[in-house]
Amino acid sequence: MQKPITQIVIVGGGTAGWITAGLLAAEHNVDKGVLAISPKLNITLIESPDVATIGVGEGTWPSMRSTLSKIGIDENDFIRRCDASFKQGSRFINWRTDAVDKSNSYLHPFSLPHGHQELDLCPFWLPHSEKVSFAQAVSSQEVLSQLGLAPKTISSAQYHFQNNYGYHLNAGKFSQLLLEHCTQKLGVTHVRDHVEHIVNNEQGDIEKLITQQHGEISGQLFIDCTGVKSLLLGKHLQVPFLCQKSVLFNDSALAMQVPYEDPATAIASCTHSTAQPNGWIWDIGLPTRKGVGYVYSSSHSNDSQAEQVLRDYVTANGTSNQLASQLEPRKLNINPGYHAKCWQNNCIAIGMAAGFIEPLEASALALIEWTASTLAQQLPPNRQVMDTIADRVNLRYQQHWQQIIDFLKLHYVISQREADAYWRDHRDSSSIPERLQAQLELWRYQAPSQHDISYKEALFPAASFQYVLYGMGFQTQLPSHVKPSQLQLAQRLFNDNQQRTQALSKSLPTNRALLAKVAQYGFPKL
Amino acid sequence: MSQHVLLNSIDHKDLKVNTSRSAALGDNLWFSVTFPQEFRSIQAHYPIFFHKDAATGQFYSVALFGFAQNENLFLTDSGWNASYVPLSVRRQPFLIGQQTVREDGIERQQRVIHVDLDHPRVSQTEGEALFLPYGGNTPLLDEVGEMLEIIHHGLIDSQRFIDALIEHELLESFTLDIELDNGKKHQMIGFYTINENTLATLSADTLATLHQQGYLQAIYMALASQSKVRDLLNLKNAQG
Repeated sequence: MQKPITQIVIVGGGTAGWITAGLLAAEHNVDKGVLAISPKLNITLIESPDVATIGVGEGTWPSMRSTLSKIGIDENDFIRRCDASFKQGSRFINWRTDAVDKSNSYLHPFSLPHGHQELDLCPFWLPHSEKVSFAQAVSSQEVLSQLGLAPKTISSAQYHFQNNYGYHLNAGKFSQLLLEHCTQKLGVTHVRDHVEHIVNNEQGDIEKLITQQHGEISGQLFIDCTGVKSLLLGKHLQVPFLCQKSVLFNDSALAMQVPYEDPATAIASCTHSTAQPNGWIWDIGLPTRKGVGYVYSSSHSNDSQAEQVLRDYVTANGTSNQLASQLEPRKLNINPGYHAKCWQNNCIAIGMAAGFIEPLEASALALIEWTASTLAQQLPPNRQVMDTIADRVNLRYQQHWQQIIDFLKLHYVISQREADAYWRDHRDSSSIPERLQAQLELWRYQAPSQHDISYKEALFPAASFQYVLYGMGFQTQLPSHVKPSQLQLAQRLFNDNQQRTQALSKSLPTNRALLAKVAQYGFPKL
Repeated sequence: MSQHVLLNSIDHKDLKVNTSRSAALGDNLWFSVTFPQEFRSIQAHYPIFFHKDAATGQFYSVALFGFAQNENLFLTDSGWNASYVPLSVRRQPFLIGQQTVREDGIERQQRVIHVDLDHPRVSQTEGEALFLPYGGNTPLLDEVGEMLEIIHHGLIDSQRFIDALIEHELLESFTLDIELDNGKKHQMIGFYTINENTLATLSADTLATLHQQGYLQAIYMALASQSKVRDLLNLKNAQG
């Protein structure tokens, strides 16, 4: 009989390590919120005491709600302790053209189009594209986010909503909360130590780690959450890295934390992503500060030019020159790309140890959640069958990465920004993956649909492609035949959405007002 | 709008409060807050359910008077047609306030009576006086003071009761579908009740704890009160 897998070693803390530990423990060691007396898995997380986590992953997807709920974290605790706020999508500003005006902006909301289970509204919207934006026609979040409104009211139960939402959060505080929850409630063993050597067995599997102070730590499955170092998967197991810089040029970022000068400043209900000459700036609103950063291509801009662009943005967006001059940006290097596999032998990499790309659609945490929950759900029963599961996880991992690359690249390819070489270079066909080129050709004649996505549970549904394509002003030929019954249904759904938007715009509080109520009362459990 | 001020015998010596019951005086209530100590009186007349306060998201026990906004089926031209009117209705236009007082150099909080001067019950002309002509409280004001004390403690206890219900997963949402004799259908959502399946599976220890706290009795009174939905329906049908 094959020995069951019970010893799991995670190398690296940070959100990747702790989310993985939490999901594994919740899936296997907890029943109805109660930790088993003799847990099935023995989970150890080794964290270098003096390696600072990157801590810029500050935007989540709605998937984070189910992740937190699975791990057993109370939403009120999470919001209060992680300085979280509500995020309903990403607003892309000045991406369409060089023009700097209010109309040059669109939202990629988290809600699927209204009535998506009944009908794909996109083809029915196309004839009206001059009058109303796609996002506004099919989702209430375009209007509600412009009004700075929250996705729910204080009487909605934890993790429930009026409009689908994720979070903006303080990544450092989030790791700390996860650490406490995993060690205190989920029985995860936390070892603060340096890994000095990695020892293989005869089959080439990792057998044990030699640490500086705690000696040998052996395991049957090792999870690499060591960030860009990719200590186990990349360095030790030598899984090749597929650089994507030729497709997505951004390899540098300057990040800044900008406190609000007026504590009552409105908290934006979506991430703002504003196009710049050689990249784009993220702007994430937390309760007490904003996280702002310029992601750019070092081949197109040097650091000091980039810093000036970032400072200009900060002062143009509500921060006084006096405060801005006291803020120092932090430089981050991004090596855009991913390892050919995330799972090799008895080691799986999660988070930046597997791959990293510019945070244009905040895919980093989402991919961590996907990998960790996939691992938790498909945990191999023993070593003998591990490769079978590893193969299918690797396949889906590659599909996810290809989709992320294509989807991010799409934002640049259909831009009509002309002034800067950076944007023109993005449209050079040699930089565009063939898959994406073929799809773009297809989308000139028909709107993106679920059939364009070849596998189940893709990270980005067809709706995401619709929101970005038509937000960017992409032209698709009008459908030649429309069934009258479907046209009627479409009109009803458009009207419904409009009425719902109006009703919600009257009843929803602002992000800040709702956060104040969460601080005072908290969301009810049901 | 409301205008809440601390009640005092100087500024408010001529204030009168109209204690009759009518829609114009704000009695056209769909439901009103109650708490376990009051359940015995409430369940004899009204169904008890649970409802979230829209402003805070917190659960309260409520006594139900109708099936829709502004519908109080107990309200007639001659007043409130039931022998018991819930304290949270009778307290109007008064409410409890907190005041910081210094006594022997030590600060402490004391409960005081506030009055809503904009409430339709309040005037200088109609109703019962609050203060006697030569000083001192009228019986009405003394009664108000007692009521507010009971409500204050009742709501604190209610919070513990609700916390216990949530902890033991005893609350569940439900939809009340009613059909009137005239064929009209009503659906009422947003209310919660005791989950009897969960209640039936509680351990002996849990039941004993709930019993000691007095909450087991409250739970069963709330369940028993559901038969009063039928009374509401009869009143509604009688309206035609």
